[in-house]
Amino acid sequence: MSRTHVNCTVNGDEVDFLASDDTSLLDALRDELGLTSVKEGCGTGDCGACSITVDGKLNCSCLMFAPEAEGTSIGTVEGLADGDQLHPLQQTFLEGAALQCGICTPGVLVAAKVLLDENPAPTETEIRYALAGNLCRCTGYDKIIHAVQEAAVQIGASK
Amino acid sequence: MTATENRPTYKYVGTRPIRHDGLEKVTGKARFAADLNLTGQLRGVMVRSPHAHARIKSIDTSAAEAMPGVKSVTTGADFPDIDPAMPAYDEAINVIARDEVLYHGHVVAAVAATTLSEARAAAAAVKVDYDVLDPILSIEGALEDGATIANKSNRTLFLGQDDETNLASMAPFGRGDVEAGFADADVIVERFFTTKAVHQGYIEPHACVADVGQDGKASIWASSQGHFAVRSKTADILGWGTDKIKVTPAEIGGGFGGKTTIYLEPIAVKLSQKASRPVKIVMSREEVLRATGPAPAAEISIKVGAKNDGELTTIQSTMKYSNGSAKGYAAMLGAMSTASYKFPNLDIQTFGTVANTPKSAAYRAPSAPQAAFAVESCVDEIAKTLGMDPIEIRLQNAVIEGDITAMGAPHPKIGFIETMTAIKDSEHYNSPVPEGAGRGFGTGFWFNIGEQSSATVNLNEDGTATVITGSPDIGGSRASMALMAAETLGLDPMRITPIIADTESVGFTDITEGSRATFATGMAVTNACLELIAQMKARAATMRGVEVDTVDWLDGAAIVDGHDPLTIAEITAQAKQTGGPLTSTASLNAAGAGPSFAAHLADVAVDEETGVVTILRYTAAQDAGTAIHPSYVEGQMQGGSAQGIGWALNEEYIYSDDGVMENASFLDYRMPVASDLPMLETIIVEVPNPSHPYGVRGVGETGIVPPINTIANAIHSATGVRMTDLPMSPPNVLKAIHEQK
Amino acid sequence: MARVHLQANHASFTDGVRELEVDGATVGAVIDELDRRHPGLGPMLREGSSVAIDGELQPRGTIYAAVTADSDLHFLAPITGG
Repeated sequence: MSRTHVNCTVNGDEVDFLASDDTSLLDALRDELGLTSVKEGCGTGDCGACSITVDGKLNCSCLMFAPEAEGTSIGTVEGLADGDQLHPLQQTFLEGAALQCGICTPGVLVAAKVLLDENPAPTETEIRYALAGNLCRCTGYDKIIHAVQEAAVQIGASK
Repeated sequence: MTATENRPTYKYVGTRPIRHDGLEKVTGKARFAADLNLTGQLRGVMVRSPHAHARIKSIDTSAAEAMPGVKSVTTGADFPDIDPAMPAYDEAINVIARDEVLYHGHVVAAVAATTLSEARAAAAAVKVDYDVLDPILSIEGALEDGATIANKSNRTLFLGQDDETNLASMAPFGRGDVEAGFADADVIVERFFTTKAVHQGYIEPHACVADVGQDGKASIWASSQGHFAVRSKTADILGWGTDKIKVTPAEIGGGFGGKTTIYLEPIAVKLSQKASRPVKIVMSREEVLRATGPAPAAEISIKVGAKNDGELTTIQSTMKYSNGSAKGYAAMLGAMSTASYKFPNLDIQTFGTVANTPKSAAYRAPSAPQAAFAVESCVDEIAKTLGMDPIEIRLQNAVIEGDITAMGAPHPKIGFIETMTAIKDSEHYNSPVPEGAGRGFGTGFWFNIGEQSSATVNLNEDGTATVITGSPDIGGSRASMALMAAETLGLDPMRITPIIADTESVGFTDITEGSRATFATGMAVTNACLELIAQMKARAATMRGVEVDTVDWLDGAAIVDGHDPLTIAEITAQAKQTGGPLTSTASLNAAGAGPSFAAHLADVAVDEETGVVTILRYTAAQDAGTAIHPSYVEGQMQGGSAQGIGWALNEEYIYSDDGVMENASFLDYRMPVASDLPMLETIIVEVPNPSHPYGVRGVGETGIVPPINTIANAIHSATGVRMTDLPMSPPNVLKAIHEQK
Repeated sequence: MARVHLQANHASFTDGVRELEVDGATVGAVIDELDRRHPGLGPMLREGSSVAIDGELQPRGTIYAAVTADSDLHFLAPITGG
């Protein structure tokens, strides 16, 4: 079998891996790079558990082929914390109990970060629509929305 | 917001520390079963029946076995026969078919190969020769005269006979005289309700890794609500001793009852044994929806009679639940869950049927949401007919401690009245209904269970503690174990590490289901801590040179008259000198589980041109007994509410005439997303359970019971239309509007 | 003699009789006696039921719990959950 050699950046690190052309980026990130925080919930782009950023834009990695990552800059939840400092979103999620089983949490955090980077003071409705691509079955979303609101306040206050 | 009743003052119970496993979950480090990779592992892929009902004439795996990368193949022939009378039988057949396939997607064989694509190619090369049979796809179809037998192993032993049947169970419940009751009634409501099968919808598909060594011993990592059950069920299905199987629980990405049974592990073990390599099997979402157990569809005819003063006197109902491919207790549990009102005259006939659809699995308060849809809708209709407030009529008829349930046993101490009163006093209830909207009230409860738990508590040399249990954490229970240990010992919960250990490292513990973990495992943890205190008092007596019965324990320290207190850390620092390590284990078969009642309130707007129902405001009140960690109690209430809302408004299994699920993806099996819901307000009510050291009542399940009936009642308030068929999706709401208006 | 209350699905083994009087020092002894009188009922009660003694639901699987001549036993469908 022939595999493509892919070079890209993940969370600021230059990486490379091999993947056949029909391998999803999700499987390549998990199986070739060991980034198991990116989860498969559906494989069809409907649940958001595989959410990553690709050159700053939110994407479902299950809907991309691994070779499409060539030359791009990919972001996952592992890139949120800054050394020993958690990102405000990670902190508010912990304090606000905005997770139960945790399987959707990496994808939700990535999507929420994209939202706050683009819209630092979102309304409740804007948050709900920005996260509408991330299914959570445990929380009913209530504490997630509150945690994103609180993180927005904290980020704004620290500027 | 919490309503309490003579609540003891706790130092740690009732606080909201960050959960101990939280950091790894927000940083992506938490390991779920599919995240594990063992050296040399193979990937396993199932071969599934393309027919809803068929006899297997032959299976030819020779082509698959010869394909590149294939290391082992298995079929039902590799598994021992189990007596159909044994409890393990139905689950064993469900894991892999023997001579009959019972639903589209039923596993008939499996292949393990070095890569996933090789395994998939080989699975496609397995040749199965089927004799296709007619499928049974509905309750009505199951009960027709001369209907095909959906599962030939299902027999009428419960009727004292031994015949094949599509009837899985039959149980009447009764008291009083319903004929006289209806004759005397001033108001009678008679309705027929239907619900569709719905899936638990956990975001993590089933996954496991199994590794069988050359010594014939299996190590399994599983996504499961109960790893001891994975061990015993795998042992039963393979015919192995439980000493040959070790199960380590991975973090679990949602279960809600759907992961209390097993699908993958016996097959992964068999493939691993045959290949002498580890085997990893991960279900796709499509497999999860097509082939794992949903909650049963139900058909409920119901008649309720009341007096003009609001007394609910009489209830008569026939409840039919479809269990899918094998028998279950669904219908019986539905009848039993109607025990919220005194109803002196009661006649409930229940029937469970079998069909050629996946074997139904538990889903949060199994069977209660369907039954409550029927009962609570009728109570709402009676209230409105009598011009009574929907909360007042229920307060008048609510069961209290000592009232007899439909099963014949009395309710223990319960908080139904307190929970409804919490809604009655709430800001939501006392605010005006928004213009154009309708307000609905509904209730529900679940019995909750006890069962077996073990816990070990180890004190470390520095006075910190490790709390070891065997209850997979599906909702934050780990944190609650730490809080109960903290309260008992008098030790800061952040100095306590709660872990969930594998089957070799902790005593036997039953499945995390039935809202039992915080209750029963919490009891075991508390008992282990109490025993540790007795040990520490004895050590303190030694250290101070006094008799042990002069030593008291207060706030995490041993108190000896005339001496300074000895803290836990001071005692553990001298553990070696005073007798050795300080550890304790407790185990029990817990009795005294307390039922948890819930009352919900919803304001909805109905667009009568599109049938779209929008929830404007939602409040859930529930009796937690004592909320050990209030954030996670609220989380259970909110999660249950969201699932109930999805069940009410959108979720359903859609089958073709051939018994193939047509909406087997998250696109078409439509669960609530963030933009579908408002904030879910919660009110924790605390009517402590006298049987638990901290008054705990399980809270995990009840929350899913009220939403369906609450929303149906709200839709009626908004439009005058009574919804009796689920889901209340836009086309169905429009249809009802056109039929009724 | 202890009073025993059966569910309807148990009653198919007893020709429809749901209230019985049975002697036995423990729940297990009562079940054995019921099985002796009505063959097949024993396994249903042992595996497929919970039992309440004088209104108190017992831990599941209890067969050693004491029963007296005044006891009221209810055999109930097993509650699980999800």
